[in-house]
Amino acid sequence: AMQRFLGPLLCLWALRLPAGTGAAARGLDVASYRERVRAMFYHAYEHYLESAFPYDELRPLTCDGQDTWGSFSLTLIDALDTLLILGNVTEFQRVVSVLQEGVDFDIDVNASVFETNIRVVGGLLSAHLLSRKAGVEVEAGWPCSGPLLRMAEEAARKLLPAFQTPTGMPYGTVNLLHGVNPGETPVTCTAGIGTFIVEFATLSHLTGDPVFEDVARKALKALWKNRSDIGLVGNHIDVITAKWVAQDAGIGAGVDSYFEYLVKGAILLQDKELMSMFLEYNKAIKNYTKFDDWYLWVQMYKGTVSMPVFQSLEAYWPGLQSLIGDVDNAMRTFLNYYTVWKQFGGLPEFYNIPQGYTVDKREGYPLRPELIESAMYLYRATRDPTLLELGRDAVESIEKISKVDCGFATIKDLRDHRLDNRMESFFLAETVKYLYLLFDPDNFIHNDGSDFDVVVTPYGECVLNAGGYIFNTEAHPIDPAALHCCRKRKEEQWEVEDLMREFYSQKKTKKFTLKRAPDHGEGENAKDPEDASSEKAGEKRNSKKSSHSLLSCPSQSFNSKLAVLGQVFLDNT
Amino acid sequence: SCSRAKDVTMPAKLPVHFFSTRSPVIDLFRGQLDYADQLRQDSEIVLYFFYAPWCGQSIAAREEIEHVASRLSDQVLFVAVNCWWNQGKCRKQKHFFYFPVIHLYHRSFGPIEYKGPMSAVYIEKFVRRVMTPLLYISSRSKLLDFLSNYEPGVVGFFEFNASPQPPGYLTFFTSALHSLKKDYLGTIRFGVVTDKRVAEEISLVHSGSVYLHRHANTSLIYPKDIMNFTAENICKWALENREMLIRWLRPHGGKSLLLNNELKKGPALLIFIPYNPLAEIHPLLDEITKVALEYYKCNKSRAAEPDLQHLGDSDSPAFDSSVTDAHLKFSETFPIAKYPCCNTVVLPQWHSISRTHNVCELCVNQTLGVKPNKVHVPHCNFLEIEAALDSFYLQEHTFFQVISNTIECSNFLSFYSPFSYYTACCRTVNRHFLSFISSEKTIFQTPKVAFSSHGKKDNTQFSIPHIEDRNCFIPDLNISSTNITGLSCRTNKTLNLYLLDSNLFWIYAERLGASRSTHLKEFAAIVDLKEEVHYVLDQNQSLVGPTLENFIKNFSVLYSPLKRHLVDDPSVHFHEEHVVTEVTTNTFHETVFLSAKNVLLLYYAQWCGFCASLNHIFIQLARLLPPDSFTVARIDVTRNDLPWEFMTDRLPTILFFPHQRKEQSVKFPEDFSVNLPNLLKFILHHSSLSSSEPCTKECLHKESVLQQGHISHLEREIQKLRSEISALHQAHDQLEAQLSEARRGEQRLQQQKHTLEKQHKTLQLHSEQLQATYDQKNQELLEMAEKLQELADASENLLKENALLRILVASRGGKLQSKDEIKETLQSEQTLSEDNDISLSTATAALEEKRINNIDTIETEHSSGNRTE
Repeated sequence: AMQRFLGPLLCLWALRLPAGTGAAARGLDVASYRERVRAMFYHAYEHYLESAFPYDELRPLTCDGQDTWGSFSLTLIDALDTLLILGNVTEFQRVVSVLQEGVDFDIDVNASVFETNIRVVGGLLSAHLLSRKAGVEVEAGWPCSGPLLRMAEEAARKLLPAFQTPTGMPYGTVNLLHGVNPGETPVTCTAGIGTFIVEFATLSHLTGDPVFEDVARKALKALWKNRSDIGLVGNHIDVITAKWVAQDAGIGAGVDSYFEYLVKGAILLQDKELMSMFLEYNKAIKNYTKFDDWYLWVQMYKGTVSMPVFQSLEAYWPGLQSLIGDVDNAMRTFLNYYTVWKQFGGLPEFYNIPQGYTVDKREGYPLRPELIESAMYLYRATRDPTLLELGRDAVESIEKISKVDCGFATIKDLRDHRLDNRMESFFLAETVKYLYLLFDPDNFIHNDGSDFDVVVTPYGECVLNAGGYIFNTEAHPIDPAALHCCRKRKEEQWEVEDLMREFYSQKKTKKFTLKRAPDHGEGENAKDPEDASSEKAGEKRNSKKSSHSLLSCPSQSFNSKLAVLGQVFLDNT
Repeated sequence: SCSRAKDVTMPAKLPVHFFSTRSPVIDLFRGQLDYADQLRQDSEIVLYFFYAPWCGQSIAAREEIEHVASRLSDQVLFVAVNCWWNQGKCRKQKHFFYFPVIHLYHRSFGPIEYKGPMSAVYIEKFVRRVMTPLLYISSRSKLLDFLSNYEPGVVGFFEFNASPQPPGYLTFFTSALHSLKKDYLGTIRFGVVTDKRVAEEISLVHSGSVYLHRHANTSLIYPKDIMNFTAENICKWALENREMLIRWLRPHGGKSLLLNNELKKGPALLIFIPYNPLAEIHPLLDEITKVALEYYKCNKSRAAEPDLQHLGDSDSPAFDSSVTDAHLKFSETFPIAKYPCCNTVVLPQWHSISRTHNVCELCVNQTLGVKPNKVHVPHCNFLEIEAALDSFYLQEHTFFQVISNTIECSNFLSFYSPFSYYTACCRTVNRHFLSFISSEKTIFQTPKVAFSSHGKKDNTQFSIPHIEDRNCFIPDLNISSTNITGLSCRTNKTLNLYLLDSNLFWIYAERLGASRSTHLKEFAAIVDLKEEVHYVLDQNQSLVGPTLENFIKNFSVLYSPLKRHLVDDPSVHFHEEHVVTEVTTNTFHETVFLSAKNVLLLYYAQWCGFCASLNHIFIQLARLLPPDSFTVARIDVTRNDLPWEFMTDRLPTILFFPHQRKEQSVKFPEDFSVNLPNLLKFILHHSSLSSSEPCTKECLHKESVLQQGHISHLEREIQKLRSEISALHQAHDQLEAQLSEARRGEQRLQQQKHTLEKQHKTLQLHSEQLQATYDQKNQELLEMAEKLQELADASENLLKENALLRILVASRGGKLQSKDEIKETLQSEQTLSEDNDISLSTATAALEEKRINNIDTIETEHSSGNRTE
């Protein structure tokens, strides 16, 4: 018995050794940084549970909690899938049952439509889709039904009244019990209108109720219709009159996730219309706002520069570019942003590019994830050690600057590293998650399709968890394969069955298959966005007739082999 | 308290020691810049390490600095300054955009910023150069050593006999420090000669002259009469005129166009070697230098440059003055070249199906050639070769006849110039089919071919570059060592040569296909950015001079035998359990072309969002199709290069290679969405075309195999349906359970309703009872009130009587005062007690009233409770 007892103990000890000695090797010790990120997570998470739960957020300087975006134990919902990514199955299961009992959306609270969607609906959806992987016993209809899905649906239904406007663009705030408050401001930021398609389309595909996807699409189309003549959108719009209230156009605060969701929606739904919208915007953004691999703010009608600043929130852009294959440009912009980090140990909310310094009243860094998120995507594409170095810098900075006894505190001012009494829920949902994924190349989230699960549902057999997870803008991963499991599964199966029958009988009816070319009415998604925007006459419309599919990436150029360690290449054109 | 907590902030933590207190580095962690400046007075050489405590790079560099400090602390003062803390002097005075920043001071000269790699050996090397920016050259042999280095050398001649500080010496010394400021890689070395005889070797006569040594071009003497003799000017002059035969590439890690700018100059040979800057000798580097010198030596006779043979031979008493002669005679005329310039020509074939082709080596022989007298006129220029080719093609019929395994040569006169004739030596080689894979096991089965001019081996002559067979390569040192001389000028594909330290930049080598497993980090590749190709020196050959020379030669010949290197992903292993076959560069041909199956191939990249979201569709497809006649495969084209003809410029791309017609691959149309039914239709459409031949036995066999497949497919389907049924059953059970649960719930509710109704009734009863008691109490109260009234009246009467009695008593009092005193007090006590009685009874009445009110509210509560129930 003694022998058997000693065996595993020795094994553990031996396993731990390489992490300590690996530091001697050149380059970064990825495993030790991964463990430091893990420790970071638990330091914050345990203090939240201890001092702040069931409030939304932890206040790390006073060691207590507060409600910020509602009253949903937001940090817990947001951190749920991070638990699974860190491999903590038991805690995931415990939290799932806690949430089922404890969270109530029938409350008289004015909630941000945008934040509730990305944090609550997104968090619950991803937890629902991952729950089987986490060992939660799922009910028979999963993934098309389940308690977390019902919660997500309930939360989303509470948001629907906001979409009841003449334009289809939603109000920014809604009361969860009474709907839109009388006298509510009709001014909503662009991102607050165009950041629903990922969660809402997933909901519609899983539950079979098309209302969510419909309102999200309608809002997206309304924005597209109201873009300026030079193809830009502003910062805030009146959802009743469709007049732009703030006319600054850029890729950062107020707009950011609108562009992100056009791309991610296009990928998730294989939707050419969304992609062609994005590509048109991308052209205008390059034309008017891009200078020397920075993106500035311009007037949306004239294209003149209004603010030569870089915003911390803009740092998601390189990651988005890498998703559609524009890796060279992404890397160039990323390296610009990285220099700002090196200057301050974080990214200030605003950074004045010509002056090379922070902007007054915007010197804070609330431990945002965007630059780390881009580093994770780019590391997938390039394996460039520079990206791991950013991860290293982030771990060192956050630990040195913002770690306090009760968690991690927002940096109020990057010039002197004064701390603020707040730890936003995205710190555990996004910042820690992306850091961990950067240092864990073998995580299941990075699955390239070599692993998958087969699930038998009442709707038929379904392949799941084959990789290609789409992160919503709060870093909650959505499995794109799950969207094909529920609603249309049966119809497609019958069609496939017919084709297979034909396949095995082809030798007998030789001529038959020849006639059967792929049918052309394929999917309503295939149509161009021109239908939606035909009123915009006089614009050149030839570009979309390019020879390649919109839903594709360019393959990388030859010089990308050498584009690592800060080296960038200029186009030959 | 809530709003106050919101405003709680906390100042940054106070700075603490960054270096350990035992470290040889002085750590001014409060940013005491003024103290740092004071410290500078104490030491000749000072290194400042400006850091920020949160900065990852500072933390990583800390260890390296400590290492350097432990080795040099007796000569150099190491001062670390926290330049982040906002209360510190450093932060207030300096404005850095990155950390750490390393500044060096040589006495008052500085700051010299170190911008090299954050690695101890490199930092130490640089510090040592700041310590001794000038190398003292005491003898001829030391001079030879100094000059033979591949890095440019500047030599100053100063006679110290006349004065302890000869004029200009300080300026020269400062210029050496200046060059470290400008050129942080430190590629220009500065030396000083004090001995007149040594100075004469490089024809320096006057004290105060400065000499820039160059290998391939004329060496220069600083033109004092044109430029002022200042430190900046000397440094600038040396930088502008130095020769860069072979350059180190050391990307600093930040955003940079270094490789872009260098590689756009033309094809580049990148040589990766492990390099220790502190090492005394670099044998491999010397060897590479030798090749580079030969390669660029365009204008000298072969015998004229033996200096490199003296490398390391520093004690050689007989110093060969021809070295310096060669330099001095640079501007003079050169001996007429006797060697030809050559080009390999593969003759066009009459029939494309021909299995052989003729290869000729065409050389220009200049018997009475023009005399090149300028530095950069190449001996064998492009025009000459063009002319030779023209003449050659005029005669080509002669050569087409050749089908021979021996080399046959013939001479013919130039069409244009009477002074030269051409030699063409031809032989026939077997034509080989292009292979996809550029590995050691290629199909490149050419027999070993070696050309030699005039058909005879003559080592004193220039032999012609030869096509080598990689399978049986034996380096021929004699031939190759002479062959490369001046090749850079004879070819129109001139290479630029670069060195990279594989300790720091091995990642580039890996990107170009260097094996990850090799422990010896040596690698060479030719990168042609414009043509988007690169060639790799076979890693099984050791990286030595001759192999490098052959590599260069093979690249330079007109029909280069080098094959584009295709990088493949070594991490992919074949997995039996993977339903989708993962293809790599190496397995591409085998899986797609050699297999007897229909192949559907997906080109993808892991990072491309549009590819990753299709994974599940391809997995489903692979599970659906019969595995014995279909392969569903995919290739990650970011990690696996493919021959041009199989490349694609968009991802994902789906190709179908039908069985037996692999060359007629078809592409899945881009305007269709990629889903299971569409993919099936696509496969169905294209795999059916072949089946139109009449039915034979074989066909019947096939048919039966197909039907077998169908059967197993159907069996799988049945299996699936069964599991579906069981899933439905489960769902059914679940629903049933939920339904019964709901029914039970309903029942429970019903029961609850009943009990509630009962409760309601009892409550009503209770309420009636209460009403009755209320009435009763009310009655009692009324009665009580009446009684009270009576009592009040009675007491009033009593009071009146009392008053009367008092008056009566008073009237009688005078007389009976003393006698009746006791009697009187008794009477008054009596009235007092009567008063008390009255107040008590009013209090009880008030209490009674209160109680009734209470009962009232309880009653209303009860009735409202009943309503909600």
